[in-house]
Amino acid sequence: MIFFIIRRLIMTVFLLLVVSMLTFAIFFLVPRLGGETPYELAAQYVGRTPIPSEIHAVEIKLGLDAPIWLQYGRYVKGIVLGVHYNNGTDVSYCPFPCFGFSFRNDQPVWPQMTSDIPVTVSLALGAAVLWLIGGVAVGVLSALRKGTFFDRLSMGVALAGVSLPVFFTGLIALYLFSYRWSLFPNVHYVGITTNPVQWARNLILPWITLAFLYAALYARITRAGMLETMGEDYIRTARAKGLPERKVILKHGLRATLTPIVTIFGMDLGLLLGGAILTESVFSLPGLGQFTILAIQNHDLPEIMGVVMLAAFFIVIANLIVDILYTVIDPRVRI
Amino acid sequence: MKRRSTLAATAVGALAALVISACSSNGSTTASTGGSGGSTASYNAGVSQVVNPSTQKGGTLIFDSHASPDSFDPGNTYYAWVLNFSRLYSMALFTYQSCPGNCGLNLVPDLATDMGTTSSDGKTWTFHIKPNIKYENGSVVQASDVKYAIERQYDRSVMSNGPTYYQALLTDPSYPGPYKDRAKNLMGLTAIDVPDATTLVFHLQAPFPDLPYVLAFPNSAPVPPSADTGSNYQLHPLSTGPYKFQSYQLNKQLTMVPNPEWNPATDPQKKQLASKIIINLNVNQADIDNRLLSGDIDVDAAGVGVGPTAQAKILSNPTYKANADNPLNGFGRFVYIDTKVAPFTNLHCREAVEYAANKTTLQNAWGGPVVGGEIASTVNVPTVVGYQKFDLYEALTKPAGDLTAAKQQLSMCGQPNGFTTNMAYRNDNPQETAAATALQASLAAVGIKLTLKGFPGGSYYTNFAGAPAYVHSHDIGLAAGGWGADWPSGYGFLDALSNGNAIASSGNANIEELNDPVINNLFTKSSTLSGGARNAIWPQVDHQIMTDAGILPEVYQKALLYRPPNLTNAYVQTYYGMYNYVVLGVKS
Repeated sequence: MIFFIIRRLIMTVFLLLVVSMLTFAIFFLVPRLGGETPYELAAQYVGRTPIPSEIHAVEIKLGLDAPIWLQYGRYVKGIVLGVHYNNGTDVSYCPFPCFGFSFRNDQPVWPQMTSDIPVTVSLALGAAVLWLIGGVAVGVLSALRKGTFFDRLSMGVALAGVSLPVFFTGLIALYLFSYRWSLFPNVHYVGITTNPVQWARNLILPWITLAFLYAALYARITRAGMLETMGEDYIRTARAKGLPERKVILKHGLRATLTPIVTIFGMDLGLLLGGAILTESVFSLPGLGQFTILAIQNHDLPEIMGVVMLAAFFIVIANLIVDILYTVIDPRVRI
Repeated sequence: MKRRSTLAATAVGALAALVISACSSNGSTTASTGGSGGSTASYNAGVSQVVNPSTQKGGTLIFDSHASPDSFDPGNTYYAWVLNFSRLYSMALFTYQSCPGNCGLNLVPDLATDMGTTSSDGKTWTFHIKPNIKYENGSVVQASDVKYAIERQYDRSVMSNGPTYYQALLTDPSYPGPYKDRAKNLMGLTAIDVPDATTLVFHLQAPFPDLPYVLAFPNSAPVPPSADTGSNYQLHPLSTGPYKFQSYQLNKQLTMVPNPEWNPATDPQKKQLASKIIINLNVNQADIDNRLLSGDIDVDAAGVGVGPTAQAKILSNPTYKANADNPLNGFGRFVYIDTKVAPFTNLHCREAVEYAANKTTLQNAWGGPVVGGEIASTVNVPTVVGYQKFDLYEALTKPAGDLTAAKQQLSMCGQPNGFTTNMAYRNDNPQETAAATALQASLAAVGIKLTLKGFPGGSYYTNFAGAPAYVHSHDIGLAAGGWGADWPSGYGFLDALSNGNAIASSGNANIEELNDPVINNLFTKSSTLSGGARNAIWPQVDHQIMTDAGILPEVYQKALLYRPPNLTNAYVQTYYGMYNYVVLGVKS
C-alpha cells in the first residue's frame, strides 16, 4: 500500500508537469503561433491609451519578452523554488509554491487561491455529503420498491435533477427561499471559524442546489446497480442462510454496488474541488470557481495557470483516494 | 508677473453659467442648478434633490459590486465608480461639488485651498494645500506627498491603470518614476516644484486651462513616500478621507471604519455618517439587484443601473419605482466610422451611414428610452459643458432613418448599390452586440452589408478597434464603442475622441481617425482661451465632427438606479452619473 501511494504521488508530479506544459502551451504558445506578439499581449495589461515605451516596460516586467521555453522554465522554477518580484518600492519574495503574480493586480496567485479554497471545499464537501447520502438512499429504496409509486416518483424527480441546469435551480432557490420568502436572506459566505452557524445557514441553499443535480445521478446509478446485484445468486444464498434483510441489503447488496459509485464520486468531488463554477457564480460565493471565471474574463494568464494546476491536483488526489478506498470496499482488490 | 486666478475662477463661474444655459436636463426631469432642500422618495427625485436628508450617524453602509476594482490605490484606478468611491479614503487636490443637479459638475477645492493661480503665459500653475490635513496615522500631509503621488503615475509598469495626463501635460515627460529614479529623495520630477510644505508649482509644456480637472482625479491624493508599497499600496492606502481601511480581502470584501484624523471642517463636500462601510466584490448582478430591492444592501457600487429583470420589476411596481432614479450617466454610445478605411474615406459614404441608421432600433438595443438612453444627435453629451443641441442627420426628426437621403449619399460617393464593410463590436457586451445587429439590419436596407466581427472587451481597445494597424489590415470600417468624459468640460470629452494629435497606436479613442485641421485648430485655440470663450469652442468641435460624419451617435446613455428606503442623503452626482458615495448614510 505504501509503495503504491508513493508511486502514485510520483506519477502525480509528472502528471502535473504535463498539465502545466499543456496549459502553458495553450495560453502562451498557441496565441504566439497565431500571430500575437508579446507586445500585443502586454498591451492588454497597461490600461488605457498606453504609449509604446509603456507597453514595452510592461512586456519586460511580465517576462513576456523572453522565449516561451524560458518563460515556462521560470514558471516551474517559481513553483519549486519561489521567486523574487519587484513591486516598485522593494523586492518581495514569493515562496514555494509560487504560481507567479497576477497580470492584473500584481498580487501573488497562490495566496489568492488558498483564500478561496475553504469556500469551495465548504461547498463541495457539504453538497457531497448530501448527495451521497440522499442519492444512495433513494437509489436503494427505489430498487427495493421497484415499480411502486415511490420508485416512479423518485426516478421522475431524479430525471428532473439531472436535466435541470444548476444555474436554473440555483436561481429558483434564491428567488423563492431568499428573496421572496426570506427564509435564507442575503446569502453570502461566512467562514466556519467566524461563525459556524452562519457558515452552515448561508450554504444550505448552495448545498441543496448542487446536491440536487448529483443526488439525482447517484440515485439512478445506485438503483441500477442494486437491481442487478439483488438478483445475484449470492443474495439468494444469504437470504436462505437466514441473514436479516437489512444485512443482506447493506452488507451484501449495497457493498457490491458501491464500487462504481465510489469511482464517480472521486471524479465528481475532485472536479468540484477545482471550482464549482456555476454554483459559485449563482450564489456569489468567492471560491475557486469564481476565481476561475474572473481569471478567464480578465485574461489573467498566471491565475489561469494556477487554477488549472490546482484543479488537476485535486482530481489526481481524489482518484488516489478512490483507489485506496477500493481495497476497503472490495477485499479482493490489491494495490 | 503672476495673474490672479482669472482663468481658474472665471472658468469655474462660467462653467456653472454655461451648464445652466446649455445643458439639457439631466434625466427625465429638469435639474436644479443647486441642490436645495430634501425630498421624500419619488421617481427621479434623486436626480434633482437630496432624498432622505439626514445627519443621523451610525449603521453599516453596504455596497455590492459585480466586479473587482481595477485597484483601490487612488493612483492606479480609472473605473468611474472607484473614482467616486475612493473619495471616501482620499483627498485629491480638487473634487466635485456635492449637490444634486448640474451644480454637481462644478469643480471645488478639496485638499487645495483654492482654484490656484497661473502665470501670464498659462504654463505655470501654483496651488496651496490646506495646512494640518492629517493621514489616518496622524502624520501631516506635505505638498511633497502630492508631488510624490503624481510621480508614481510615471511608471506604468507598476501603476498601469490610471490616467496618464501628467506625462502629456507637464514638462519632463521622460521622468521614469520614483521606482526607477530613486535619487533626489524620490523628488526627481522637475515639472513640479515644492518650495514649502504647502505649495506646489506645476510647469506645463503648453497652456492647459483644464489642469484643475486633471487634479480632481484621485491620483493627486497625497502619498507619503515612506508609506508607499508600490503595487501593494492598493491593499491599504493611507487615508486622508472620512474613512480608512480596516480589512481588505482581495477580490472579496473591503471594510472601512471612520478615520478619526479626518476633519469635516476641512472637507465640506463629504460626510462621515455610517459607523462602518462594507463593499462586497464579485457579487452576481442579479443577486445585487434582489438584495437592493429587499434592502439587504444599500448601494450597487458600479452605479450603472440594475439589470433587465430588476428594471421590469421596478418600473412596474409603484413602490419600487418611487425609490428609483433614471439619470443620464454621462456616457455616449457611438459607432465610429473610420475615415481611413475605404469606402469611408469618402465623406458621402459616411453620411450614408448617418442617414440610414435606424436610431430607434439602436435605442431599443441599448435598453429603450428609459434604461437605454435618449436618442443622440451629437457627440457631446448633455452632462458635459459645451453641449449644444443640433441634429445634422435627422436623428431626432426621423429616428427610423432617412433611406432616401442615405441612397443619395451612396450615389454621391460612387456606391449607388451599397458596399460591404466590417464592423467591430464587443461580443461580451450584450447591448453592444444587439446594437451592432440592429445597425446591420438598418444599413442593409440601403445595400450596406455589414460583416460583424466580435472581440473580447478586455482587449477591444488595446488590440483591436483601438489599434489602427489592426483596423486597417482587417478593413474594419465601423466600430462600436462608447465614451464618458474624464472631466465634464468639452475638452475632457471631445479631445481624445476627435483631436488628430490624440490618435494612438493602441488604446486609441479617436477610432474614426479624424485628423481634421479645423478640429485640431479649435483645440489649439481653446488652450489660449478661458471661461465662456473657451466653452464656446466645444459646440464648434462637436458640429465639425458631425459635419465630417466621423461618428454615428446612438444614445446618451441612462441608467436605472435604485436607492433602498433606508439610504439617506441619496442623490445623483451629475459628473459620475451615479449616487454621490461620500455623503451617504443609513437609517438605523
